[in-house]
Amino acid sequence: MHALIDHRPEHTRLPEPRRCIAPRLQAVTSADRPERPYGQDGMALSAELKQDLIAMLPRLRRFARSLTRSVPEADDLVQEACLRAIARADQWDRSQPLDRWMFRITRNLWISELRKQQVRMGEGQVAAEETHELRTLETGEAQVVASQLRGLIAALPGDLAPVLLAVSVEGFSYAEAADLFEIPIGTVMSRVHRARKILAANIAATGGDSR
Amino acid sequence: MSVTDEMLSAYLDGELSEVDLRAVEAALEDQPELRDRLAALMAADAAAQESFAAIVAEPVPLALAAAIQNAPVADLASPAGHANLPNAPRRPAQLLAAAVAALALSVGSIGGYLTGREDGGARVAEARNWLDDIADYHAVYAAQVRHLVEVPADEADHIETWLTATLGVGVVIPDLAGDGLEFQGARLLVAAGRPVAQLIYTDTAGGVVALCQISTETPQDSFETRQINDFDLVSFGNAAANFVVVGDAGRGDLSAIAESAASQV
Repeated sequence: MHALIDHRPEHTRLPEPRRCIAPRLQAVTSADRPERPYGQDGMALSAELKQDLIAMLPRLRRFARSLTRSVPEADDLVQEACLRAIARADQWDRSQPLDRWMFRITRNLWISELRKQQVRMGEGQVAAEETHELRTLETGEAQVVASQLRGLIAALPGDLAPVLLAVSVEGFSYAEAADLFEIPIGTVMSRVHRARKILAANIAATGGDSR
Repeated sequence: MSVTDEMLSAYLDGELSEVDLRAVEAALEDQPELRDRLAALMAADAAAQESFAAIVAEPVPLALAAAIQNAPVADLASPAGHANLPNAPRRPAQLLAAAVAALALSVGSIGGYLTGREDGGARVAEARNWLDDIADYHAVYAAQVRHLVEVPADEADHIETWLTATLGVGVVIPDLAGDGLEFQGARLLVAAGRPVAQLIYTDTAGGVVALCQISTETPQDSFETRQINDFDLVSFGNAAANFVVVGDAGRGDLSAIAESAASQV
């Protein structure tokens, strides 16, 4: 769990840089990492998995929202991802935390959906990353749906918000985020940085009022 | 080595190499301007976390939780089952059908509106009361052992502040120790399309009792008792909110618990 270890040395002249997630969010996060494996019996396994998925719903909805930027689409995506996980509970590699597995399922489903939308729009088959970039360039639609993200993060392009969420809030290391989003580690670093720069510029433009 | 903003961002994430880390540390010592840039990135990060926290604090739609609770698992143990699951996601129409099926299942197994009630058919046609949603939630969440609550009892102050802000009416956590109940924590729910504070208590036998609160312009002026599915509910109101105490049917002490709670809210 590389991401949870803070390798930075003390720098006493600076304020504490990060991981200032509200305590209740931390509580939810830690509770979502099962300390024991699910039972081997199919029905018991699914029952326990369902409980953990229901408890994880707020975080899954948030991740899905960062991908889809739309509440109804995000909830459809989360439901589909959970149903898929329940149907494939025996395929879960338990060396992997459940949330990492769910984020992967959710992201992969969304990329598949984007590809199909692209095909329906007559653009033909395109690579996952290109699909996402094309999507975020649809400024008219993006501006409408951006309001479904909260506060400042609504200003982030669609390729930046999920990466910032994963790294800054969900505690993914750059390597884990690179694996999840199927991009190089350098691209993770660059996207996280671009996201922070955009937000910092918006904060400066609004005189520090982050709302 | 010049320190780029990208390096500062990676510094915040603990992702710099040893060499870069030393360079950034040294530069931060010497250059006030660099510290300002770092502070701006940190402020951006804090703002992002606040916005993301607002999303995760939103109540989860009951239909979504119910769809997962009732998801079919029959083919899990059978390798052939996977052949029925294509890699591509289902089309929206199929997804909708799945959602409808899941909701239908939820009415069957959680709601039970069509079973065991002589007026079952008419019952479904009625507009759902918030108490119906509360009973459904209780069926889902009272079964949660590891995840009984969203915010634990040791954050009582935060719970009251958070739920008061969300509901728009004062939320206090009644002390129900006199009724043998220990406060475990809280969840935010949505019922009848509005936010509901759900305060969870357990008794010594592990029984789960919830006190739920919703803001209203038409508060109840008396205690009312009813049974929905396997739960008894005792509802009451105060100046700006309606409340309901919900627990297993037949436990017998819910009216006393409701009176204790009513004297404190």
